[in-house]
Formats: sequence, structure tokens, C-alpha cells
Amino acid sequence: MTEPAAAGRPHAPGGAGGTGPPPPAPGGALPPGAVPGATAPRRTHPLTPVVEAVRTVGVLVAAVVVFGTGALREAASAAGGLLGLLLLLLAGGGLIALALAGHWLAWSRTRFFFDESGDFRLDSGVLQRNERRVTLSRLQSVDVVRPLLGRVVGLAQVRVEVAGSGDSRVVLSYLPEAEAVALRAEIVARAAGVDPLVGEAPEVVLAAVPTNDLVMSLLLRSTTFLLLLVSVVVVVGAVATEGPGGLGLLLVTGGLPIVSVFTQFMRFFGFTVAESPDGLRLRHGLASVESQTVPPGRVQAVEIEEPLLWRRRGWVRVNLNVAGLRSGDEEGQAEQVLLPVAPREVAMGIIGRVLPGVQFGALTLVPAPPAARRRAWLQWAQLGVGHDSAVFVTSRGFLTRRIAVIPHARTQSVRVEQGPWQRALGLASVAVDSTPGPVRVLALHRDVAEARAVAEAQLVRASSARALGSGGRWMAPPPTPPSAD
Amino acid sequence: MVEQQSVDDAFAPPGEAWHPVSPRLASARRLTMLLVMVPLLLVAVVPLAMSGQAALAVLPVVVLLLTVWMWWLIGRRVRSFGYAERADDLLVTSGIMFRRLVVVPYGRMQLVDITAGPIDRAFGVATVQLHTAAATTNATIPGLPPQEASGLRDRLAARGEQRSAGL
Repeated sequence: MTEPAAAGRPHAPGGAGGTGPPPPAPGGALPPGAVPGATAPRRTHPLTPVVEAVRTVGVLVAAVVVFGTGALREAASAAGGLLGLLLLLLAGGGLIALALAGHWLAWSRTRFFFDESGDFRLDSGVLQRNERRVTLSRLQSVDVVRPLLGRVVGLAQVRVEVAGSGDSRVVLSYLPEAEAVALRAEIVARAAGVDPLVGEAPEVVLAAVPTNDLVMSLLLRSTTFLLLLVSVVVVVGAVATEGPGGLGLLLVTGGLPIVSVFTQFMRFFGFTVAESPDGLRLRHGLASVESQTVPPGRVQAVEIEEPLLWRRRGWVRVNLNVAGLRSGDEEGQAEQVLLPVAPREVAMGIIGRVLPGVQFGALTLVPAPPAARRRAWLQWAQLGVGHDSAVFVTSRGFLTRRIAVIPHARTQSVRVEQGPWQRALGLASVAVDSTPGPVRVLALHRDVAEARAVAEAQLVRASSARALGSGGRWMAPPPTPPSAD
Repeated sequence: MVEQQSVDDAFAPPGEAWHPVSPRLASARRLTMLLVMVPLLLVAVVPLAMSGQAALAVLPVVVLLLTVWMWWLIGRRVRSFGYAERADDLLVTSGIMFRRLVVVPYGRMQLVDITAGPIDRAFGVATVQLHTAAATTNATIPGLPPQEASGLRDRLAARGEQRSAGL
């Protein structure tokens, strides 16, 4: 099972069709990765078709269990007891064999290698050949993902993402875990232009989320807690009035928080944040473990989220806007959480690494004018806006306090908005636009004159920060703008 | 309806006045509105014509009043649009009830769109839309004469190239 996939094996017996994979490095005796040039084509792990087949058949079996057990039983009894069962087993076996054969064929036609120009290539496809080439100069991130089924047999996927729109993601499945990690390191090293055999960059764990804290924090989130509270009211109400109809609501009010707590628990289980030269490494997940690297240059804005019930414990969650991620994308969402729960100081330390040069201690937020109280009577006390030489900061929210931080250089555009009620009170809101993501930078309900002044001042700071070209270089000393204000 | 107040500080033009959009935009939008409201008016008349009950005259009257009100509102909305080009950024303002001002630095523009539907083209107006990497930017200037729109786009593109910054 543990054949070294790096040694380009001879072609599989059945796989020598007219559209065979183009071998760029003939001879086969090429030591892989000795020079940052081409390497011999490699295969994924031979267990890949088995894992893929189990996945395919699993979906089918689930579909049968959900929709067709009754129909199956009828078919079996119609064909006559034992014989019917036998037929069913045969059909099932045939299905499994078919899935295995299909995935084996796909596996036998799949090769990956680095080509002459040093770019990553993945050639696959049985009937329709598909040669994907990843231009490493446009590499965004390389992640090692360990889905549940793969983990059982010690296999992992490598997910390569490049800058570009649409389907710019290449997923290589499956490799032995150690090899996946090594391949990831090799891709990163080639992209960075260093010796591809330098190995995985060393990392230092900055924070790990204890399971107890994760569970507690998820239960104490504002929406979860409110919905649970509503559920209690519904139950009490239903019992008091003896109307069982009211219990139907429970499915919504009680079910939603349970589902959300459960999915977040599965996703954020064992969350660790580690620092490495190529960015912050996030690793998390219970059923399927994901590891992601967030290069600091891609961080556009940061939000510190503080639900009401977390404040006594001093907990916060940190969300990110990251460039190039499609919002609403299931897989993108995970990457938009930098830290699901952590004590304030820990979170601040990690934010300091993503946004170098930010001193939160020196930041003072200007509160909203008293008139804002009549527009936002709950969150009024939390409203604030401020800035330092590097970032623009706003705070808002009553049940969940949200402090949004955006580097001046990342300002996309600035808006001033005013509704009728705000106008009656002499207020207006300022928004600083960032790339799509969970973080919204809103300075709500400022004095009318102040709002425009805040917006104009932010534009000036943004423009001088852009002129400096501060890319927020990782681990480099932050550029100190000549007093932008 | 809130009456137009003395110039609000927050939405004041950077220079002496906002650059307005063409009044032909109002005509185009009024035609679009009528294309919906006139059939609606005809439908509203049907019950009255069929039953002959005077009380049912309320329906077409309401639709008619609504049409008149929208006619007037479109004029105000179109007059509320304005833009201004500064050295480093473009300002776009709009809205009567909900007023807004968007400032887009030239260096942040990713692309500039010009669109014109069939009705817009018939009235000789086009819409210029600025896009940045942020989805929330939403800087749209409707109702520019085509030459003005393409002139504005070319100026914006030139300045954007000079000041272009990465993400």
C-alpha cells in the first residue's frame, strides 16, 4: 500500500490508449525534485479508487435508504423472498464493482508533475482528457484537506488555488498524508522560488481553541441563545395552553440553533492557529480536517465579534475579509474565521500579526452624538469611530458588539448615507467599503457635519497609504506613513 | 415627503454644484413607468365597466393618482442624481428620502461599465457604473448623454491607470 508514488511507475496495463498522458520527462529515472525543473509524472495513491467508490456508493445507498426501502422490499417480495434478496445483493455488488472500475480507470489516467517551466500540472480524464496547469506565480494558497473517508485510511487531498475567476481550484485526491504535506511544501517552495526540497516551513502554534471553550462559546452566541430562549417560551406556552400545535414552532426555534451549533462545532473542532513564513496556518475540523494558510497580504479587513454573553468571560471571535474568496461559498466561509473563540489578549496578538503595526491600546473611539440615542437606543453606547496611522476602526452592535478594522490602504470606496429619521435628528452614517466577506466597516449615526468630515479624512488617509504601497508585508516592519493626519 | 432642505453639510458638492444628469432620463423613466401603469389602469377599469357600480370607480382613480405621484417623484429622483470629478476621486450622490454619497478613488476602480437599454437609447441616455473590488460600492450614474458617458469613462480609465494600486 505504501509504494513511493514519487518514483514514476510504468503505465497501468489498461491505460495505454491513444490519448495517453504526455510524459514530459522520458526515461523515468529522473530524481524527482532534484532541480526546480520538470519532475516525472506521479500517480495518486492506489487506494484512491476505493475511497472514491465508497463515496459514490455511499451516496447511492443513502438515497435508497431515504427514498426507496419500501419499493425495494416490494420488488424483493414480488420476485419471491430469498431469490429477490439474492438479486438485490447481486445488483448491489454489480453497482459497487461498476463504481470501482470507473474510479480505477479515472485513477489510472491521472498524473501530476511539475513541467519544464516549473508549473504544477494535473492531467486526468478517461474519455475527455483534462490537462490543468497551475501557474505557480499566480498561486494563492495550497491547502491539505483530510476528508473523513480519506482519514480512515490515512489519505489526504491537496487543494491548490490560484488567482483568477471561476473554477481556479485544482484538487488532487488522494495522497498519503505525509506525501500531501510534502507536496504542499514543494509547491509553496517552488512558488516562492526556493529549493523545492526545503521541506515544510517551520511553524509556531500561536493559539489552540480548547473544546470546552468552543462548545460553551457556541451555546452562548447571541442568536443561538435567543432562539433557545424562544424555545423555552414556546414549550412553556404550549404546555400552559395545552395546544400541541405550538410545539411545531419548536422545530424552528430549537432546531436551528442545534444545527448551527453542531455544524460550527464540527467545523471549528480542534482549531489551531500557527505562524509560518508563508502566512498564518489555520487547522480545524472534526470529521474532515482542513488546513488553510492565510497570507497576510490577502487580509482586507478584520472584525472582532463580541456576543453579549461572551463579554464576562472576555472572549471574542475574529472574522476576516480575504481577497479573492467568493462570498457565500461554503468552503470560503471557513476561511473567513480567523479564530472562532479566544480570550481578548490572544486574539489581539494574532490580529497584530495579520495587520502589522496596529496598536489597539493607543486607539480611542469617538462615541456617537447624544442625538443618535433616539435613532439607535440599544446600540447607542457601543457606537464609535476612530483611526490611527495604519487602520480605520468602527464599533457597533448591542447584542453582538462588532469592532471592524480596515487598513487605510485597503479602503475601496467611502459612502455617506442618510435615511429620513436620521435627517430629522441631524445624523448620517459612514461606510468604508471592503472586499466581499463577513466584515462590514460602518460608522453609524454620526453628526451630519462630522460624517462628511470622517469620510473625507479617510479618503485622504487611504490615498496616502496607497501611495506608499503598503502591502502589509508579512513579518516585515510596518511602513510608517508620514503622519497621514 | 420630506422637503428639500437647505444644503446638508454631509451631501454638499465639493465645488460650486453637482454635475446634474440629463432631464431626458426623467422622460425615459416616465415612459417605463407608463408601460406598467397604463395596462394596470385598463385592468382597473374593467370591474367598473362590467358592473356599472359607481363605487368601483375608486380603483382606476387610485391607479391614476399613483401614476401622477410617480410621475412627480421620478422628476425629483432624477434631479437628485449628481456627480463630481475631483483630483483623486469621483463623487456620486443620489436619493431624496434615503440620500447617499459614494466616493470612489480613481486608484480603486476596477472597471467602468456603460449600459443603455432600448428605452434609454431612444431617449439618448446611458448609465455609467463604477466597480471596485468591493461589492458594496454601488456607484451608478444614470442618465448621461452617450458622448458625456464615454468621455467620463475614458477620463476615469486614464486616471485609474495612473493611480492604480493593487488590492
